[in-house]
Amino acid sequence: MVNLTIDGKQVTVSKDATIYEAAKQAGIYIPVLCYAKKLLPYGACRVCLVEVEQMKGRLIPSCTTPVTEGMVVTTMSDEIRKVRKTVLEFLLVNHVVDCPVCDKGGECDLQELTYEYEVVTNRFEGEKFDLPTDEVNPLIERNMNRCVLCGKCVRVCDEIVGYGSYSFINRGFETKIATAFDRGLNCEFCGQCVSMCPVGAILPRPFKFKARPWQLKEVDTVCGYCGNGCTITLGTKDNEVQTIRFNDETGVNDGNLCIRGRFGYSYVNSADKLTSPMVRRDGQLVEASWDEAIQAVSDGFKAAGDSLGIISGARLTNEELFLLKNYSKALGTENLDHSGGECYKGVTEGLQETLGIKASTATFPQVEKCDAILSIRSDFYETHPVFGMVVNQAIRRNEAKLTVVADKLGKFTKLPNARTLLHKPALELNIINAICSVLLEEGLAKTDGLEGLDDLKKGLKKFTAKAVAKETGVDEEAIKQTARELAAAENAAILLAYGLPYTAYSKELGIAAANLSLLTGIAGRQGSGLYLCGEKANSQGAIDLGILPGAKGIGAQQMLDDASTGKLKALYMVGEDPIASYPNRGMVEKAMDNAFLVVQDLFLTETAAKADVVLPAVSFAEKDGTFTNAERRIQKVRKGIKSKGDAKSDFEILQLLLSAAGKDAPATTTDAFAALTAETSGYEGITLDMLGKQGYVWGTDILKPVTSKLVAVGGGEASKSKYQLLVGSALYHSGTVSTKAKGPNAVVSEAYIEVCREDAAELKLEEGDLLKLKAEGGELKAKVKVDRRLPQGVMFAPYHFSAMELNRVYTGQPVIAVEPVK
Amino acid sequence: MTETAEQVAEKTEEEIDLGPANKVIDKYLDMSGNLMPVLQGIQEEYGYIPEETVHLTAERLNVYASQIYGVLTFYAQFHLEPRGKYIIRVCMGTACHVKGAGRIGDTIKERLGIGHAETTEDLLFTAEYVACIGACGMAPVIMVNDATYGSITVQKTDEVIEKYKAMG
Ligand code: SF4
Ligand code: SF4
Ligand code: SF4
Ligand code: FES
Ligand code: FES
Repeated sequence: MVNLTIDGKQVTVSKDATIYEAAKQAGIYIPVLCYAKKLLPYGACRVCLVEVEQMKGRLIPSCTTPVTEGMVVTTMSDEIRKVRKTVLEFLLVNHVVDCPVCDKGGECDLQELTYEYEVVTNRFEGEKFDLPTDEVNPLIERNMNRCVLCGKCVRVCDEIVGYGSYSFINRGFETKIATAFDRGLNCEFCGQCVSMCPVGAILPRPFKFKARPWQLKEVDTVCGYCGNGCTITLGTKDNEVQTIRFNDETGVNDGNLCIRGRFGYSYVNSADKLTSPMVRRDGQLVEASWDEAIQAVSDGFKAAGDSLGIISGARLTNEELFLLKNYSKALGTENLDHSGGECYKGVTEGLQETLGIKASTATFPQVEKCDAILSIRSDFYETHPVFGMVVNQAIRRNEAKLTVVADKLGKFTKLPNARTLLHKPALELNIINAICSVLLEEGLAKTDGLEGLDDLKKGLKKFTAKAVAKETGVDEEAIKQTARELAAAENAAILLAYGLPYTAYSKELGIAAANLSLLTGIAGRQGSGLYLCGEKANSQGAIDLGILPGAKGIGAQQMLDDASTGKLKALYMVGEDPIASYPNRGMVEKAMDNAFLVVQDLFLTETAAKADVVLPAVSFAEKDGTFTNAERRIQKVRKGIKSKGDAKSDFEILQLLLSAAGKDAPATTTDAFAALTAETSGYEGITLDMLGKQGYVWGTDILKPVTSKLVAVGGGEASKSKYQLLVGSALYHSGTVSTKAKGPNAVVSEAYIEVCREDAAELKLEEGDLLKLKAEGGELKAKVKVDRRLPQGVMFAPYHFSAMELNRVYTGQPVIAVEPVK
Repeated sequence: MTETAEQVAEKTEEEIDLGPANKVIDKYLDMSGNLMPVLQGIQEEYGYIPEETVHLTAERLNVYASQIYGVLTFYAQFHLEPRGKYIIRVCMGTACHVKGAGRIGDTIKERLGIGHAETTEDLLFTAEYVACIGACGMAPVIMVNDATYGSITVQKTDEVIEKYKAMG
């Protein structure tokens, strides 16, 4: 700690603090323009200048100058005021002052400083900038006439996003911020640069002329898309979400968001949302009252008796899931499941069998301090983009070494010094096994107190680095290096994402990752962690609350299978559209056709269209409750707008259903939270008051494994097909909901098949051509996207778009053998 | 990703042989601080920096294309457009200016249709207005590649242009 005096006030701060940070901590205001908490110190704008007694004769930039013991700082004097005013005058020389039509007006740093320093006249004169506005893309508008060259957009896109859209170009008066070749912006559209820009030079286009900032009501809540659990701030007006606002005070994401969280909100206001219950009469779905609909559900379920299955999505709140679980008990069925029922088994069975827990062992922020990071299969920049940004910072700021086990290249593989173990599809297990085998062979494994060591050793016999290198196409030395690095690292992280399109080997991969975490000592060690991250906003909550088949129950796949053959009579789908997204569409359709079907959703989805009763639910922005993210952080979901028409939250609907079943339901979500924490392992004693700005992590920052059991798992099987198709998720989308949101659709609105340049040349395909593939006795077609990230022979298709009907041939296999049709 | 038709057209228009660029990159691949030598090498090969080579460099050296563009626009030595076989440098320094360099520039514009940093369509000439080139004694001065022409007049300019045109 360091002691200093600022404006006569004694301040004690950590020795890494800058003068600016010290002042801020003491509640003393210093203006800044180019400073941002989450970016590296820069010191370009000079509005934060202060006087330091020990550094007489010049003014000192407070945002870059570290504090020293005994420093005496003055933050305001005639001299300082004069210099700051001059800086502003300079900035205003060429700046078009078009505040009346600038969406930033009212929260613009330049506007505020100009006002504060009363810059009424300007001693300098110059031409106003007259650069064309960049409005090529539908999401972000750039007006460089308003730019003050603070460089924050350049830095955030590099330091955090790792995309690198911008650069300073030219020199002198001509200096400006531009993209490569000064084209229109064409990037990931995460909107980070929008959040960072202190002026109105980078703005969200969907928000144009929607509201003045001061007219917006702000509500902090949790993003409804992925398991990262980013805090987003809804900017609401006229009972609609008008925009998503920057908030770096609350939550785990430092204000960072991805395109879905930042621009994927429009579906919340959509006029296509269901507003009334519907029941099927004479073959037609017709609007009905809630009483009629609830009666129809009760009658239908009663008729089915225990021949009933319930499948839920993972975007319901914990409180809603709790009611759902109670409802399943009331109905007397243990056929309860979520998210397709397979993809999460890495957690519920893999981690359970090895570590005796069903969750990630550590929290996201800890990854930033890791020395070694191993990412398995998914590129987190695509599945959990903001976690990807954390990894990027670990690498850039703390020189973490990243190893990526992947079947295609991606943003992770491009991060500085990333080591990529690029393997043939379906063989990630083999590589993890090989890493374990190297640890054992080279005596690097920490085997004290581990059960099952002999069995594992036996199981790993055929997974020597050499053999695996040969079958996977990965360099043997790279496998060994990875093992050595993980063993040597003081803090290390193993990351594995799961989700609907990644169901293959889910349990085995969970086990293999757990084995590795045990042998390296990562599991349960302070600062290190094993992360198994769920696809959806409340995937972890669904596991914690036990939305899983009971001992006598069957899982989602079996339920659908049974329903398709008439063995199961009724199905209740809560916030899930299996026809669009579950593997094996043909079977799923049959199930939906056969069963007495109740669908509870926001939209009339393809599944809902087949329902006997449709119950209109509401989005995350219209309800209160909690989500538990992929690192076990329980956070508050807050209602920003009122639901439209007769739609109700899943909570309210389940209250009605429970009471129709003659059961009591908690009256409020607050009551439900109290009840669920009492019953949920790990949640005991947690109260809503404990969910502070950073939420509350159940099981504490480090969740200690309960058991330490090594379990041998076999390897994957490579496909021999010349062309192979991988199924996965794409950055711009999350599940199927985002395909109903304008923002993500503005960038990627339909399915595509990605092929590498070599294959494109061989098959004489160009970007945008229609490609037909024969696969599994069926046919697929979509437009071609030519990319540089796939190995030859490997193609990729995102699973979000129902229209492509990818799930007719995707049945959960690790890779699909395909044959291009001429 | 969204790309305007214009952007797509522009990209396909430019089909150049990346072989030489790849060779340059190979040469410096493992060197630290290799961006400048690579760009200089590419310019030497092609006479300018074709856009495709920027994307290639970005991919192979793992730097952002935007960053390369920043470097290319910061240093006057780099050219993003193809340049003429003959570079006519018209000195616009003080001495030359006083002695009528402006008129010389105008003459070139009239005869060849190119102003500062512009290139004739047949890629024979590029005009560049430059600061003092250290031959004030012979002002006004122009240079064509390495040859210097002093005390130049409108008529002499014509002759110089004709001479290089004839050489083709
Ligand atoms: S939106 Fe994101 S990726 Fe695009 S330029 Fe801004 S920060 Fe970079
Ligand atoms: S566009 Fe905005 S963030 Fe970027 S340099 Fe200009 S003022 Fe700063
Ligand atoms: S989708 Fe995930 S990473 Fe993106 S903003 Fe939402 S929670 Fe964050
Ligand atoms: S905020 Fe300190 S120099 Fe810009
Ligand atoms: S001014 Fe032209 S040579 Fe010096």
